Parts: sequence; C-alpha cells; structure tokens
Amino acid sequence: MDIMNNSEKKNGLEPMKSRNELHKQDAVPEAIQAEFGEAVTAGFKLENMSGLSRRKFMALMGASSAFAAASCTEYRDNGELMPYNKKPESITPGTANHYASTYTGNGHGWGILIKTREGRPVKIDGNPLHPINKGKIDSAAHASILNLYDPSRIKNPKRMAVSDMKLNSGQYQPASWDDADTEIIASLGNAAKSRKEIAIVIPAVASPSQKRLFDEFAEAYPTARFYTLSTFADKARQKAWEKCYGRGSFPVINWEKANIILSLNSDFLGNEGNTPEQIAKFASRRDADKPDEFNRLYVAEGAMSLTGSNADYRLRITPEAQLDLVFTLLNELCTKGQCSIACPLQLQQQIKKYTINGFAANYKVSAETLGYLLDDLMANKGKAIVYAGDCLPESVHIAVNILNAALGNDKIYDPKITNTTHSLNREGRIDELPAKMNSGKVSVLILLDSNPAYMLPDDYRWDEAAKKVPMRIAMLETENESSDGFEYILPIHHNFESWGDSHARSNVYGLMQPVIQPLYDSRQKEAALLTWTAAGKEAYTYDIYHKYVMDYWRKKIYPALNLAVDFNTFWYSALHDGFAMSNQSSHSMPVINISAAIGLKSISNQNFTVVLQPSHSLGDGTYANNGWLQELPHPITKVTWDNYAAIAPQTAAELGVEMNDLVEVSIGGRGVTLPVVVQPGMAEKLVAVELGYGRTDAGEIGNNVGVDASVLMTKQGGIADYIFTGASVKKAEGTYKLASTQEHHNLTDDMTKDFQYIRDIIREASVGEYKKNPKMFEHLKHEFESITADIEYPGIKWAMAIDLNKCIGCTQCTTTCNVENNIPVVGKDQVAEGREMHWMRIDRYYGGTPEEPIVRHQPMNCQHCDNAPCENVCPVVATNHSPDGLNQMIYNRCVGTRYCANNCPYKVRRFNFFDFRDHVADSYYKGDSMDLLHNPEVTIRARGVMEKCTFCVQRLSEAKSNATRDGVEFKGEKVTTACEDACPANAITFGNMNDKQSDIAQMREHNLGYYILDILNVKPNVTYLSRLKNTKSEDDITEKTKLDDTKLDDTKLKNTKSNDIKSENTKLNNIKPEGT
Amino acid sequence: MDIDYAREASVIEGNPSLKSIEDSISKPLSTKASWKYWLALMFTSSLLITGVVCLGFSFYYGTGLWGNNNPVGWGFPIINFVFWVGIGHAGTLISAILFLFRQKWRTGIARFAEGMTIFAVMTAAMFPLIHVGRPWLGGYLFPYPNQHALWVNFTSPLLWDVFAVSTYFIVSFVFWYVGLIPDFATLRDRAVTKMRKFIYTLFSLGWRHSSRHWQNYEMVYLILAGFATPLVLSVHTIVSFDFAVAILPGWHTTIFPPYFVAGAVFSGFAMVQNSLIIIRKVFNYEHIITLDTLEKMNKIMLVTGMMVGYAYGMEFFIAWYSGSQPEQFAFMNRAFGPYMWAYWIMITCNVVSPQLFWFKKIRRNVFVMFMVAVFVNVGMWFERFVIVVSSLSRDFLPSSWAYYKPTLVDIGILLGSFGFFFTLVLLFAKTLPVVSIAEVKSSADGSQPTHHGGSSHDK
Repeated sequence: MDIMNNSEKKNGLEPMKSRNELHKQDAVPEAIQAEFGEAVTAGFKLENMSGLSRRKFMALMGASSAFAAASCTEYRDNGELMPYNKKPESITPGTANHYASTYTGNGHGWGILIKTREGRPVKIDGNPLHPINKGKIDSAAHASILNLYDPSRIKNPKRMAVSDMKLNSGQYQPASWDDADTEIIASLGNAAKSRKEIAIVIPAVASPSQKRLFDEFAEAYPTARFYTLSTFADKARQKAWEKCYGRGSFPVINWEKANIILSLNSDFLGNEGNTPEQIAKFASRRDADKPDEFNRLYVAEGAMSLTGSNADYRLRITPEAQLDLVFTLLNELCTKGQCSIACPLQLQQQIKKYTINGFAANYKVSAETLGYLLDDLMANKGKAIVYAGDCLPESVHIAVNILNAALGNDKIYDPKITNTTHSLNREGRIDELPAKMNSGKVSVLILLDSNPAYMLPDDYRWDEAAKKVPMRIAMLETENESSDGFEYILPIHHNFESWGDSHARSNVYGLMQPVIQPLYDSRQKEAALLTWTAAGKEAYTYDIYHKYVMDYWRKKIYPALNLAVDFNTFWYSALHDGFAMSNQSSHSMPVINISAAIGLKSISNQNFTVVLQPSHSLGDGTYANNGWLQELPHPITKVTWDNYAAIAPQTAAELGVEMNDLVEVSIGGRGVTLPVVVQPGMAEKLVAVELGYGRTDAGEIGNNVGVDASVLMTKQGGIADYIFTGASVKKAEGTYKLASTQEHHNLTDDMTKDFQYIRDIIREASVGEYKKNPKMFEHLKHEFESITADIEYPGIKWAMAIDLNKCIGCTQCTTTCNVENNIPVVGKDQVAEGREMHWMRIDRYYGGTPEEPIVRHQPMNCQHCDNAPCENVCPVVATNHSPDGLNQMIYNRCVGTRYCANNCPYKVRRFNFFDFRDHVADSYYKGDSMDLLHNPEVTIRARGVMEKCTFCVQRLSEAKSNATRDGVEFKGEKVTTACEDACPANAITFGNMNDKQSDIAQMREHNLGYYILDILNVKPNVTYLSRLKNTKSEDDITEKTKLDDTKLDDTKLKNTKSNDIKSENTKLNNIKPEGT
Repeated sequence: MDIDYAREASVIEGNPSLKSIEDSISKPLSTKASWKYWLALMFTSSLLITGVVCLGFSFYYGTGLWGNNNPVGWGFPIINFVFWVGIGHAGTLISAILFLFRQKWRTGIARFAEGMTIFAVMTAAMFPLIHVGRPWLGGYLFPYPNQHALWVNFTSPLLWDVFAVSTYFIVSFVFWYVGLIPDFATLRDRAVTKMRKFIYTLFSLGWRHSSRHWQNYEMVYLILAGFATPLVLSVHTIVSFDFAVAILPGWHTTIFPPYFVAGAVFSGFAMVQNSLIIIRKVFNYEHIITLDTLEKMNKIMLVTGMMVGYAYGMEFFIAWYSGSQPEQFAFMNRAFGPYMWAYWIMITCNVVSPQLFWFKKIRRNVFVMFMVAVFVNVGMWFERFVIVVSSLSRDFLPSSWAYYKPTLVDIGILLGSFGFFFTLVLLFAKTLPVVSIAEVKSSADGSQPTHHGGSSHDK
C-alpha cells in the first residue's frame, strides 16, 4: 500500500487505525501492516522465543515464582498475565481502542465500531455516524464477536489423505497453504484447459472489490462460474419491483414519514430487512412527548410476529388471504373514487368481487377494523405505507406496489437511496449446479463461506451431486455440513481479521478493516482467490487483499467522488469513519406498470398452511454455533435453543395437542416432527416454523439443536419460496421439552389472567385519552410515609427510564448486555430449569383472548431501588448501595445465600448455580480462545455467586476517572449503558437524575412515568413510561387501564373515584366485600 | 370409687423399686446390642451416607444439582432447616417449660426429648451452611474481627438465625449435660469395666450424690430451665423472621412467629412421640413412659395442631382483609395453584388428622397415635414446603414465575438428614440413659418426703 507523507497529514483527519503511521518512516511499511503483531497472540508462543537472554531469564524466574505463589491459592491458576516489555504505540493497557468497520453478516453493510482492549476485540456496537444503521445493529451482529473466538474454528489448512499417503482415505492431514495453493492452482488450470467448470458457491455479494475480484478470477479461469447462495433473499419483492418498475433494486422507505403503516405478514420490526433502521424510524413516531405524531400500525398476519405484537390493530389472516386483502382495499378505493392512478378496466373488473364485507365474512375478521384501515389509508394518502413481507408471493408484492401507487404512497419511498445489488459477469443459477455436477461437467467446486448442503432444499440432492466433483475446496471459518469429505478444508479469516468493503446502499461505501492479528493459520478468502487468480503461490502476501481493496477505492470510488482532498487523506478518513458517502443518484420514482397486477388470482387452500421463517436469533442457521444467540429468548414465545411448530390455540385443541407435544407436519410426502408451541393470535390452520435449526455439523453448541425444517422445502417452493399450502398436521407420539424463559400461562385461567394490568405492571392508555388528560395516571401515584429518614444523594444519582411506547421487544439489549458484561451461556438444560443468566430480559405479557391476544413487552433489569429489599437481607453485606444510587454486588463477599434474589420483587437477580462456562457442552466455553473474548473491565463471576445488572458500572467508573483525569466536574453526562447504546428504538435513557438539564431528570417527572410495583415502596430508579396505544377514539381502553387501586393496597388511596370502576373478573374479587 | 383429686396420680406405673428403675434404665448401656440394633444402625447410617454422597456432589459441581431455580432461590435445604429446628422445640418445651410448671409426667420423656433437640438442632444447623453457593466461605456469616474491617449485616434475618440457632444449641447442650451429671455418677458407680468407669468418672465431674450437690444441681437446673424457656419462643420466632421480614406475598405476615412456634411444638411432639413409642417398646419402659404420658403428649398435639390450623385460616382471612391483591393471590395460589397438592397434604396431615385425638380411645391407642404423629411430621414438612416454594414460585411479576421440582440430590440430602438424626439417636440410646434415672427415681412413689410419712395413701 501507499504510504503518505507526513506533510500530507492535515485537517485533524487522523485515522485511529494509523496512529503508527503518523510518525512513521518510509522504511518500515511492513511494521505498519503488522500493527497488531505485538499485541495479542504472536508474542506468547514459547517456541518463537529466542535463546535465553537475561531478560528472558528474569521473566522465567519471575513467572516460576509467580506460578509457585499462585499454586498456593485456593483458586486454580487461570493462565499467565504478561506485561508488554515494549509498549506498542497505539495500545495503552487498560484503555480501549475503537475501530470503525463494516458488518457484512447479513448483506446490509452496517457500520460498526469494534472496541478492542490490548489488541483484542471485546465488543461491537453500531457506528453512530454510519448513514444506514446510525449506531445500531442487531443481536446477531452483537453476538458475532463470539464467532471470532469460537473454539470450533478451523485452525490449519487440511488435505484429505489420498490413497498413496500413509493415512486412510477419508482422513484429513494438516497441509500447508503453499502446498494447497500449488495443487489448487494446478487443478484450476487443468479445469480451464479441459473446459470443465469451476463452480464457486458464494454468499450474496455486497462488496464492490469482491465483485471485481470474482470477475477477474473468472477472466483468469474462463470456465469459472459463481453461484450465489442466499436464503431469505427477498427475491419475490425484487421480481415484483422488476415487473412494476422495471428494476429490482427498490428504494429505501422513509418509515418515519408514514402516519399509517399496514404491514402484511412482514416482521419489519423483527427480523426482516434492515431492522435497526426500520425500528428506529418506526419508534421515532412513538414519542410520548408528541402524541399528535403517533403513527398507527395495522398488521395483517398469520403467525404472531414481533411486529404483530406491536400493532394497534391486528388482523389475523393466513398468508394466502393477503392478496385478497390488498385487492379488497384497492377495490374499495376505486369504488369510492379515491384511486390516485388510472386503473385499467380489466383490473377493475378483476378486483370487483373483493369487498370489505365479503373479506370480513370470508376470513372471519372484523369489518369494523377493515373500515378503520380503509378510512385511515384514504385520509393519509401519500403519508402511509403498505408493506408486504419478504415471505409473501410475488403476486402480493405486485398488488401492494399498485395499492401504494393508488394511495400516492410512493412518496414515502426515497428513490435517491436504493438497495444495491451486485451482479457478477459469470454468474450461474444455483438450481442448475447439482445437475452439472452430476453430469461430470464440474471439475472444481469451491465453497466460499457457504453451506449449500444445509441451506438448499433436500430435493437438490446436493450431497450426492457434490461427491462427483474431483476437486472440492471448502473455505470456511468452521466446518459445516457441506465440507464433509472435501479434498481441501481451508480456514478463512473472521471479518475482524479481514479487509473488505461494502456497497449495500447506493449512497454509501463501507470499509472493513482487521482489528486483530489472525488467531490461526487462516487466510482471507479473497486473498486466497487473488493468489489463485495470479496463478502463483508466491503471489500471496498477507496484505494482498488490503492493497487490492485500496487499489479499487483509488481507481473506482475516489475519482467518482470528485473530492478536493488527495486519495490518502480520503482513504484514511474513510478508514477512520468506516465508510465514505457517495454521490446520491438523481433517480426519481419510476412510473408504475399497473398491468402487472392483471391476472393475479387469489389462492384457495382447505388444508394447513406452513410458513417457514428465518430464526429470530440465528437467521438462516449461520449463527447456530453461537451460544448467546441460541439462548436468546424468542421475543414472543420466549423459547430458547429450539424451533417448534407454532399453532393457534383453537387448532391445537382440534388436534388435541398442547405445548411440548409433538406434531407431524407433512407436505406432499415430505414430513418433519416438531414440538408444539400453542401461540395465541395465530391464524387457524397455520403452522409457523423457524429455519436455521437442526444443524448437524455446526460445532459443539449448534449441533442437533432443534429440527431442520428445511426438509419441507422444495426447489419450486409453495405459493412462495417459504409458504406451503396443502399441508397436513397430525399429532405424533411423545413429547419434547422446550426450554422457555417464561412460563406459558393459560390465557383463559381466571386466576392469573391480566395480572400485568391488575398489578399495574404494564400501564397503558390510548393516545386519545392521553391527549384529553395528560395527567390521567396521577391518581395511581403513591406516597408513603417513612419512619426512617430518606438517604440523600447530593451528588450524582444514576437512573434509567424505559419508554414502553418505543420499546418493541426486539431483545437486542439482552444480547449487548451479554457481551458487555461477560454473561455466560447456560445451556438448554439450565434454561429449562429456569436458570438463564440474562441481566436484562424482556418480559412478555399476554392479555385479551387466546384468539386476539394483546401482547406487551417490558424490558426488565435491576431497578436499583433506593429501598432495595435485597440489601437488608444479605447477611454479609455483599449487596449494598453506592453513594451515587447504585445497588451494587460485591462478588468476593457473596457466599450465595440467594436471600437477595428471593426478596427481589422483580426477580432480576441471577445466581451462578454452576460454573456455567464449565457446565455447557463439556467446557466448550472454557477454551483458550474464549479467554480473549471477555470484557476485562467486568469480573467473571465464580460459581455460587449472585449477580445482576450493574447499570454498566464499569462505564460509569471509566467516565468518572476520565473526568478526574481531565480535571472537570463529573456530572454524568454522555455516559451510556450498553443496553441504551444498543436499543434501536432509543427507548432507554440513562443518566444522572440530579442533573436537572438531563433527559433522565425530565423522564423521571414525565406524566406517563411510573414505577413497577411502586406500592412496595422500594423506590426503584428505573422509570417506565406508560404505553400509549394509537387506537381510534371509539376503541379507547378506559376499562382496562384504570386500575382499581384497592386491589393493590389500601394505603393512601388518593382518588376514591377509582373504586367505582368495575373490577376485573378475577376470582380474587369474588371474595372481596362490597364497598371496600 | 373414691378418687382423691387433691392427689397427683403417680407418673411411674407399677410402683417399681428404685433399684429396678436404675436397672431397667441402665440395662441397654451394659448389654450387647441385638442384631435389631445393628440393622437399624445400618439403615440409618446408609441414609446418612446417601446424604454425604449427595452433598459431596453438590459441593463439587455446585448447587445447580438441586432443583432451585431463578424465582425459587430456596428449596429443600431451607425447608429441611426449618423442619429440623422445629423438631428440636419439643425437647426444650418438655425439659424446660414443663419443668418450670412442675409437670412430673415429663420426667420419663425429658431426657430423650432433650437429646432429640440437640440432634435436631445439629441437623438443622447444617443446612444454612450447605445451602449457600460457596459453603467454604460460611465463616463470613460470623462476626469475627478481621483486617478487612468487614462486618456482618445485622439487619439480615439470616444473621439472626446464626445467633439464634447457635445460642439455642449451646443452651440446650449445657442443659442436657447438667441433667446428665447425676446419671453419669450413677453409671460410674454401677460400671463394671475400667474403661466405662473412666469415662463415666470423667463426665460425672466428681458428683457424689451429696445433699450439697443436689442443692446446687437443682438451682442450676432451675436457672438453665429459665434460660431455655424464652428460647423455645425465640428460636422459631427468629426462624420465622427469615420469611416474615421478606417482602414476598405469603411470607410477609405478622402471624408467622406464633404460628411457627406452635408448628414447631406440634411437629416436635410428634417426632418425640414417634421415637418414644419405639424406645419404650424396645427397652420395656412401658411403666416409665406410660400411656398416660403419651396421652398427655397427644393432647398437646391436638392443641398445637388446632393452633396451626387456626393460623392457616387466619392467613387467608388477613390476606383477604388486607385488600392487597398479591397477598390474596398468594393464598389462593397455595390452595388452588400448581402446588395445591402440597397444600392439601399439609391441611390433611396437620389439621384433619390430629382431630382424631378428640377421642380418648384413639389418644390411648399406641398404633393409631403413632400413625397420626407420622402424619403430623409429614404435614409439617409440607407446611414448610408450601411456605417456601409456593410463595417464591409465583410472586409479583408473572413473567418470572416458574415451577420448582426437587432433584434426586435434594431428596438424597433430605434422607441424609434423617440418617444423620436417627444415627445420632441410636448411638445416644446405646451410650447414655435415654430416661433420666435421677428424675424418675425422684418422681417414683415414695421418693419424695410427704406429710403423711408414707409413699402412698393407698397403702
């Protein structure tokens, strides 16, 4: 790479990455490349140490006496601690460095900041400057740091032994990259010469440099074909856009501009599309301070999704009814003369039969709600959006495009920013590949970070076909189902060890940079391909792809931007920021081709419908070996470590099954047996199953977790790729225990029904009511007299506020908290026992009826009560209060009586019943590499110790000591907790409540603010903002939210009027005397 | 029949001579144990070993081997703790309170009951130490001066427990030992082997049966009885504070102290009665531990059983009267929630079964009373189970509710505690006089000076 002159440094554009280079000499570029060389693992290897110098002798002496001393302690030695004897310039022990990079795990090209400590990444957060995700990422991205240190990663290149070698064939032996390069280059050359195909299976390309590389590779080897393997790729939408607008790249939606959102089977708040962006934009219109600007969310869906659980109005319909719904709306629109486009007569004829009353009768939904929906859409033309789910068939997407156009809603699109696709010069269709391999036309098969054997439907018969290829090369981080028996298994870099770029959105280029010296003898996959393209193993240098990316940026991206600065400045600034903005296109919305909708027919189905969905946490199964994600509770069912068949309560009753019973789901001879989750709010005769489970070669953690439901899939798909009609479901023998973090209470059990309202855990009202009377909850406030003096907190007092209007229950706070606070994975057996360790959990409450449930989410962490009930019961003062209002734990002092947990009304305390790292999967998480993962600022808790949310005290201490260092008064501003950072909806506010200017101080005084269980007078420091439901004023929910205070406590009843309100029909009330 | 109600009926039947009392009580100590004894000892010690093995596993792997989970932080160990502390109470009540009230019928059962107190408290005291996550740091629970200037938390009921239980153990032990001194001397005088003579001499502390000794002895015994009496009330009161001081619905109630004390006496009497029925049969003490005595114990069980039953009812009333929904739910949940099976076992055993003691025939029928007392013990164990588990498993936030199921290890440790207790009881029965020789002699007819100069009116 080019080294810039010192003189070119200017403008404070000093990239963090290149601190070395600031003061560099031209003579040592290599040292710059190996900037992490001294940082982590390289210096620790004994065999690399030279002879016994004086220094070494002293070191060994010191170490052996330290070991001798350590062996006398009661705790086992946990490894060596070594100081730097030469301090790397950019690393100050104890101080974190942040590097901007790009997360490419899902093709959205999110900007991330990677926090490294002493040269090892310990935490990922969104890059706040990044235009796509604005500082937020999803759970998979947060947890993906675990994959870097995954003990299952392949450590060396491996070659399948051939017959002339001493090993049996079928066994692998270690190989060198040199030998691998030589043999592979020869094979590639032969293939090209003999006109046999070189098939390369790749994930979807989002990187321009990668695209150029693949095209160059295909030039060097003309028989090379690239096959993109991507699941849940939103293909139906692309095709629909091609048909409607002539291009498959669809623009970004300005969700924040929509007053009305109609989501058709789309989990855009859950796991569809660019969720952090979508959640943020959606939640920005749920600001309790701006009740006039609340958006209204209608959801028409079959399975209960996270989006559906946040709906103001939810229509329970199966996927095949979606087209009818869209046509109904379109027809009513046309009938009422509200259609903004000229509908062809043919289309009008075609949709004439779809009416609201007909639809309501057909699909047993409320005609009233449909009426509201239609009125709202008509009243908000150009300010609403109808959005169809990824899984829906092309026909629905086309109809939705036309409905949006008819409502003028295409104004909500931002045509200047589109999602880009990168097509390769030599691309093949993956569905044709197995046939080619079977016919012997393929002589080299390269799997580039992909897993076709698992991902593809069984009827591809991938395994059989792949066996017929003479030279098979798998380039992977961990072995998978596809790599079994391959000639070469080559380890590739994790993204954090790699260079790269990304162009997922038309307006931004992202850069990816390595943040750690490679842990193993792996190579970046692109670097290996470059070496093979150059057809010489000597071509490989460790920075070969770095140079390549830089070269691409210099030649292609930099010139197009017409910048005033020189390339080096541009490059380092982009590297510093993690991205570079590109010129926005001047596209406008193309005119819609309405005739695309002509001839679309509704689908009829008498049998069961099966919807296959990506797993909420594991996606398509790529992350199956990530324990944090496996243990992340599903946001609705709260099930961990498994997939299941979600079916409606009525359907379950018809089938005679309950939760944990097994059912056999079969479609046209393909069948799978799954445990049942009875999911309130599901459409009848619908089965929803998550994919991404049932992996057999994912690693110790991910193997045989759940059931691989992809056996239900076929090449052709059902009515859409992931929706199958005509399925049959029947009860199977036996049961299977699902591990869920919340009990599944029967919604019809009068004894426990609606406790979230009765106990004032969830407080809610409608927007209309709130506007009428902002102080509507005033009467529920309690004031208690204390017999002791309250403790004063004159300085800082930390507090948190959680806005239930914004919180959608996405569980990202849980994941980021796991990473930040070194929270162990406990395993399925322990979750089933109720011993999950999450410090931050999302409670889910069902109200309403089993058919039409009201789902509410509530993040729950330690409330840091002023009168903390946990503190006075600890016999050894292991939990106590800090002067700045934190309820703190002294792990060293804790003997583990668990009394504090018993006495915690919020049950947020977590006990280390085992040494969980040792307990899970045969000490899997005690592997050497795992030691590098942990946040060094947070103690690893021992077995037998209680733990809980600390409000990220390590961050507070750091901020405090920084303020002390800088000599400024510490007011607690700009300090954030991990969950606050990660919350895509910005629902969490943290800060010093004594600073009256701060957001948190205002939240504490908010009209909607309340404390959970404040009747106990524990004085929590977490304020919740009551949830406002944006229903029509006709549907105001007075009865439900106005609590009968007497039921909670008879003390200090301020408003006697509430006595008049009818009480809920719980059994308990029956024993209440009249007139209390 | 002309009955003189001014005169106490003799508590010792058959008017045995003082020598024969001494002989029959010290007989088990001087004869070889029968095969039945060894069989019983093998049985109890194998229970004990089961417990030790289960504990060993728990220490090695962690408390995760038990059924405890996130809402239910306390499970079997704390249930067992409260159960065993309760068992101990009868001993102190019999030996101290009944002594102060001059209830002579206690003489036949006091020694054994006191021994059981000590063993029960020993068994109980194990549990708070082993139930913690890091038992090797149990010393932190004691307020000892240290360089870290770390002190214990005097607001924690668990700390009060430490003091209450250790005080109780020390006082009970001293009381028991003081009572044993005259008997040690008697045994010393009867001893035929050198070894026995040496041991009994050592423990009898130079007792010579002199009047002066007796005078001092009576005074010390009286003072110790005075000491021990408040402990009967205080120990279980403090144990009940473990729950009552917490804010959990179903725990946070003011009725707990008296209710726990009544329950403790109830279960303690049941356990003493169970054991004595076996002892009097095996060692032929029917004339010393008379049917009258057993009947009196049954009456106490009937009274305390009804007190406990009243407390159960009152808890419901107060929950309803409080108007506090979580409180109301906690009790509805006990009776009709997932743990209703445990609740109704408790009610059946503790409230219903003692009602049989209204009938004199049943009160005096050894087999039936034995069965009722077994029921009471089972019921009282379940009472603690219901209190600990049902309240914890469903408290304030329904989101964190979970069902608690004990594991085999839990059950092993429970069996181990029984093994520990009964092994000690068996060893006690074979090494020390299970009935106080001195006291029985003193309450035998004719042993006390009377105005009539004779031992009996009848004669």
